[in-house]
Amino acid sequence: MERNGKATSDSKESQWVRLQSTDGFSYLVKRKVAEASGTVRNMLDSEAGGYSEALTGVCEITERGIIVEKLVEYMSFKTYYETVNTKDDVPVKEFMERIPPEIVLELLLAADYQEM
Amino acid sequence: MSNNVRGPSSALTEFLRDAGITATTIARRAATRTREEQQQQQPEAGPSRPANTNRRRRSTRASGYASDELDEPENSAVPEDAMQVDEAASPTKKRKLTKAAEAKLKAQEKKKLGKKDGGDEDEEEDAYTAPSKSLWATSAGPKPPVGSFEKCAICEKQFTVTKYTMASSSGSGFLCHQCAKAGGVDPFKKPAVPKKRKAPVEKRNITKFEEKRFPTLVNICIQLITKHINDIEVLGDIGVLNVEAISKALSKNRGLTQDNVHLFYNTSNDSLTLFDATNLPSPALETLAYHNRNLTSLRLDFCGHLDDTAFNVFSTSLNVLERIELLGPFLIRPPAWKKFFTTHPNLEGFLVTQSPRFDIECVTTLVEHCPGIKDLRLKEIGKIDDAFLEQIQELGGLRHLDISDPSHSCSEDAIVSLLAAIGSGLSYLNVSKHSALTDAFLTDGLLAHTGNLAALTISYLPELTDAGVGAFFDEWASNGPLNILDASRNDVLGDLALEGILKHSGHKLMQLNINGWKDVGADALNIIGRLGVEMRKLDVGFCRALDDFVVKMWLEGEKKRGAQTGGCRALEELKVWGCNRVTSACPRKKGVVIQGIESQASR
Repeated sequence: MERNGKATSDSKESQWVRLQSTDGFSYLVKRKVAEASGTVRNMLDSEAGGYSEALTGVCEITERGIIVEKLVEYMSFKTYYETVNTKDDVPVKEFMERIPPEIVLELLLAADYQEM
Repeated sequence: MSNNVRGPSSALTEFLRDAGITATTIARRAATRTREEQQQQQPEAGPSRPANTNRRRRSTRASGYASDELDEPENSAVPEDAMQVDEAASPTKKRKLTKAAEAKLKAQEKKKLGKKDGGDEDEEEDAYTAPSKSLWATSAGPKPPVGSFEKCAICEKQFTVTKYTMASSSGSGFLCHQCAKAGGVDPFKKPAVPKKRKAPVEKRNITKFEEKRFPTLVNICIQLITKHINDIEVLGDIGVLNVEAISKALSKNRGLTQDNVHLFYNTSNDSLTLFDATNLPSPALETLAYHNRNLTSLRLDFCGHLDDTAFNVFSTSLNVLERIELLGPFLIRPPAWKKFFTTHPNLEGFLVTQSPRFDIECVTTLVEHCPGIKDLRLKEIGKIDDAFLEQIQELGGLRHLDISDPSHSCSEDAIVSLLAAIGSGLSYLNVSKHSALTDAFLTDGLLAHTGNLAALTISYLPELTDAGVGAFFDEWASNGPLNILDASRNDVLGDLALEGILKHSGHKLMQLNINGWKDVGADALNIIGRLGVEMRKLDVGFCRALDDFVVKMWLEGEKKRGAQTGGCRALEELKVWGCNRVTSACPRKKGVVIQGIESQASR
C-alpha cells in the first residue's frame, strides 16, 4: 500500500501524537507514551484497522480535559517506569496521591475504555 | 577481715590482685583442665601424676595461663596464712598441688569411677560445681559419692546424691534437687553453648510476579475508590455517572469486594446489578440485603457465595422484590428456595442459571405461590425434566421462558404440551440443547400454539432438518415476524431454512445468529442483504460461503437497475468468525463493527 512508502519518511514526524479532549484541550505526547493505552495503540496502528488516526496522528478521546490529563500522566508514568529497569519500588503510592478523589470514578471508566 | 590489712606481699600477689584474677576463675579453669587431662589419662590418683600434668600443661600453655596456674595454690591458700604461701610460691608451685586441688582431683577420680560415661557435660557441670566445692571446700566438704544419702542443707530432707547434686550457695552442705531448683540454679541446665549461627540460608530469589506487574490505571482507580469509600461527598455524585458502567468496570477486574461494593448501596435503590459477586462472601451479601431494602429488581452474577443464610435474609428483608436474576447460586438448598417463594407472592421474574439443587419441589412451590411469574429462566438446572415442565404449564402469565442447557433433554412431548398450555402468551422462548427435539416440535409445538413470539432461540438442536425448518417458517403465518432469532450451531441447516426465515421475518429481524451453518450458500446469504433491512446484529460465523462480496452487498446494497438498493443499512455489528473467505480487504462502513476477520486475528 502507498502508506508504507510514506511511513519511513513520516517516521520522524509521527513520533509525536496529539490527544484531544472533548473540551478543546490538546496533549502532545510521544507515540510510545500514547501506546500505553490499548485503545489508542489500536487507533494509531497503521497496519491493522486502517483508521484515520493512524494517518493524522490525532486521537480524539471522548473525555474531559482533566481526565485526559490524568490519562496522559499515567501513560508517562507507566512508560517511564517500564523502561527504567530499576530494582527500586515503583512509586505507585505517590501517583495515587496525585489523583484527586473527585475524578476517580470518571477516571475509572475512562481507563477501562482506554484499556490501560 | 579485709584484704587491705596485710603484711608485705610479693610482687606476684600484688600484680594478680591488681589484675583482678580471682580464685574462682582460676579454680574453675584448673578444674576444667584437670578434667580434660584426666579424661585422656587413666583415672588413677596420685599427686605425682597431676604434678607432671601440671608441668606439661604449663609448658604448652601460654604464659598467661601459666601465671594463673602458678597462683592457684597461692590463692587457694589465701584463707590460710598469706605469708607462708607467698614464700612457698615460686619454686614449689610448679611441682606440687595444693591440698585443695588434690582433694578436688581425688573427688573427681572417684566420681569418674562411679560414672559410666565420662561426658563433657558432666565435667562441665562439675566444673561449675567443682570450684564452688573446692573454694568452699572447708565448709561443704567434697561431694559425697553418687548414690549415697545426704541431708539437704535447706529442707533437711534426705536425698540421694547424684551427679547433679549442687552445693548450696551458703556453703553449708548440698541441696536436694528441689531446693537447688528453687534456689534458681538448675542442675540439669547445660551451660549455654553459644549456638553457632549459620549465615542465614540464602533464600531462593522467588521473583514476585504480582509485584512486578505494573498496576494498571484501572487497578489504581479501584484502590483509590476503596480507600475513599466512606467519603461519599469526595467521590462526587455517583448518579451522574453510569452506575452500571462503574459496576462493570469493577467487575471486569474482579475488583468488586466488600470494601468497595458499598459504592452501589443505597436505600433508595430500586434496582441493583453486580456483574461479579465472586469476592463478596456470604455476610457481605446479607449486608447487601439490609442496605438496599427497597429493591424491586436484583441481578447477581457469579454469586457462588450466596448460601442459605444469606438467601434467607433476602427472603425476609427484600420485601418488594419483584425480579431476581442469579447466576451460579449453587449453594442454596430447596428449603431456602421455597421460603423465598412463599415470602414473595408478587414475584414476576425468576431467572436462575446453574443450580444443581433446584428440584421439583422448588418448582411446585414456585408455581403455587408465585402465579404471576412472567419471566422464568431455569437455565443449566441439573434436575430439570418433564415433571418440571408439567408444573410450569400452570404459569399462565408467562412471557419469557428459558429452559435451555439441561443436563438431559426433556422429551418432545413434554415440551409440546408445555407450549400447548402457555405458548400463546410467550414472547421469548429458548429451548436450546434439548437434543430430543425434532421437526415435530416445530410443527406441533411452535406452529400450533405460539402466536406472539418475538424472540426465539433454537440453537444446538441437531435433529432439526433444513427442509423442516424452511417449511415451518413458510407456514408460520400465525406468528408475526421475529425480531431476534438464534438458530446457531445447527450445522445441517442451510439455504432452505435461511430463505424460509428471511421470507417470514426478514423485514423485522434485528438480530440473527446463524453461526455454524456451514453449508449455507452465497445466494441465500445475499438474501439477507435484500430482505434484512432492519438488521442490527448479524452473526454468520463458520458460514464458509461468506466472502468479501457478500459483505459488500450487505454493507452497500447492490446495483439494481442502476441504483443501489438493499443492504443492511442499520447494521451495527457483524461477526464473521471462521469465515476464511472474508479478507481484510472487505469493505468497511462507518458505524459497523466487523469482528472475526482472520487476517486481523493477532496483534
